[in-house]
Amino acid sequence: MAIEFRGVNFHYKGMDQTDYHALKDINLKIEAKGEFIALIGETGSGKSTLVQHMNALVRPTSGDVTIYGVKVYKDVKKKNTKVRLNPLRQKVGLVFQFPDYQLFEETVQKDIIFGPKNFGVPEKEAIERAKDVIKLVGLDETYLERSPFNLSGGEKKRVSIAGILAMEPDILVLDEPTSGLDPKGRDSLLQLFTDIHQKLGSTVVIITHDMNIVYKYANRVLVMNQGSLVYDGTAGKLFKSKHLEEWNLDLPEIIEISRNLQEKLGIKFKETPHSIDHLYELIKEEL
Amino acid sequence: MNNIIIGQYVPGTSFLYRMDPRSKILALIVLMASAFVINDIEVMVGMLVVVLIILKLGGIPIIRILRGLKPVLILLTFTFVFQLLFVKGETTLFDFTMSLTPINTAIMIAIITLWWLIRKKVRTRFLFTIFTAAGIMTMLSLYSPGTSFSMSTVEIYPEGLYGALYIMTRLIVIITLSTILTLTTKPTDLNLGLEKVLKPFKYIGLNAEELAMIISIALRYIPTLLDEANKIMLAQASRGVDFSEGKFKDKVMQIISLLVPMFIISFKRSDELANAMEARNFIPGKVRTRIHTLSWHTTDTYVMMFAFIMLALAIFTRTSLWTL
Repeated sequence: MAIEFRGVNFHYKGMDQTDYHALKDINLKIEAKGEFIALIGETGSGKSTLVQHMNALVRPTSGDVTIYGVKVYKDVKKKNTKVRLNPLRQKVGLVFQFPDYQLFEETVQKDIIFGPKNFGVPEKEAIERAKDVIKLVGLDETYLERSPFNLSGGEKKRVSIAGILAMEPDILVLDEPTSGLDPKGRDSLLQLFTDIHQKLGSTVVIITHDMNIVYKYANRVLVMNQGSLVYDGTAGKLFKSKHLEEWNLDLPEIIEISRNLQEKLGIKFKETPHSIDHLYELIKEEL
Repeated sequence: MNNIIIGQYVPGTSFLYRMDPRSKILALIVLMASAFVINDIEVMVGMLVVVLIILKLGGIPIIRILRGLKPVLILLTFTFVFQLLFVKGETTLFDFTMSLTPINTAIMIAIITLWWLIRKKVRTRFLFTIFTAAGIMTMLSLYSPGTSFSMSTVEIYPEGLYGALYIMTRLIVIITLSTILTLTTKPTDLNLGLEKVLKPFKYIGLNAEELAMIISIALRYIPTLLDEANKIMLAQASRGVDFSEGKFKDKVMQIISLLVPMFIISFKRSDELANAMEARNFIPGKVRTRIHTLSWHTTDTYVMMFAFIMLALAIFTRTSLWTL
């Protein structure tokens, strides 16, 4: 078990001093290997707060999170002075939604090796890693010498992901990695995450609003609604759920199309299609 | 970081709250001028009494003012002590001799060690330090058995004492007056009032409207930027920047990793804001209507009259008529 949430609640005070209950009694287990988790839910439902608990960036108001055997709770620093939370952030790599919050070095290379160096990787090895990861995220080595501030939004995003990949985390957590990318860039990045997931077997957690991504890639879906974890299961079962409207979620295009087809043509497919090819097969069977 | 409240404004209903910010600012200036005109300790104490009466009438709890005085406590103490010790007159009020002997030096070191050990646990640390220092001085002057190897005499003159009291009272009056303004006026009202008050300075090249706009934008963006700073800290922490567990030599790099994104984001924000303002046809210097307008009431007239009477009285106490 890599990450385990037990009865986690999280409160915070807003600028107007009102109390927000961002997470309500979250119980959740995440394995170190083999999971591709999509975390979905409407804006303000607590998704980002939840992932920030996964690498001990924030500590629960009540309850505890166990990350690779380290128990993190409210007063963990006071009660256990020997605890080191920093190494957990190498184990669980978290990519933030906006790259502007993390890029600061003069060159892309320096920015990528910043993370590994903080975790004690020698500079030489870190540079080698930078050369690898920059290609992984779909940029070439010429980018390493450029300034991160002169890049386009999509390129910045890739560099910020490369910066986390270079830390070689066991679990990769991404907060809306595909927002602000064009369709081609989105697909290539998702391909990268599936590669990491399949080749290294590492668990990947992504926050997204795109139900097509959820349906196509995720083998487990978590749904957040107003601070509570309301669904934990497969994508297939989720999209048959009656609660979709209540959770403000829509259907993936492929399911929508097949439902419309069934309705208009008055037929019934044997199963729910998972891709265009599958839908074609189903239609062919019916005709 | 989340507990920062911008400005000191505390809601209330007294006449101070109903006043127009313009008259409040002007009255403050006039009353401060009076405090600077007064050069006599008795009159200054009278002024302090007047200020206390204003507080009472305005329904402001004295504890709020004391809290406002806290940051300048060190300054107040130093002015007092320096005035007391270094202003010399003709006849001394009293003097005392401190002498160091092996025994009382040992006691002094013991007291300092004790102070060092328990000072972290004392809530009013500054007062505690002052009392310790005073205690040591008294001990040195009263208890000196054995042969002394060093001696020093402290002389206090009446001029020094009066000067010290006078300056302290004046500082307290001025700080209390300005605290009254910030306690009873919302930052936005204060800003609007300031804009109106500074308007006549347009003729010497000071654009009050732009200045007011800059202040209000700055106030508006403090919480936003705090929020951004927090996000940057989290983003860098997830890349291994260790703000609490790290070693000292890494701190410089950590600060840079915060400052650079902070600068970039601030510039971006201001660029976006400028575009958004332009898109809504904001033209600097053009006449604009306001959702909140200021209105001058009779209270304001009375307060202004009172302030000018105070100033006149202050000037009168400096003239020869007063001393007669």
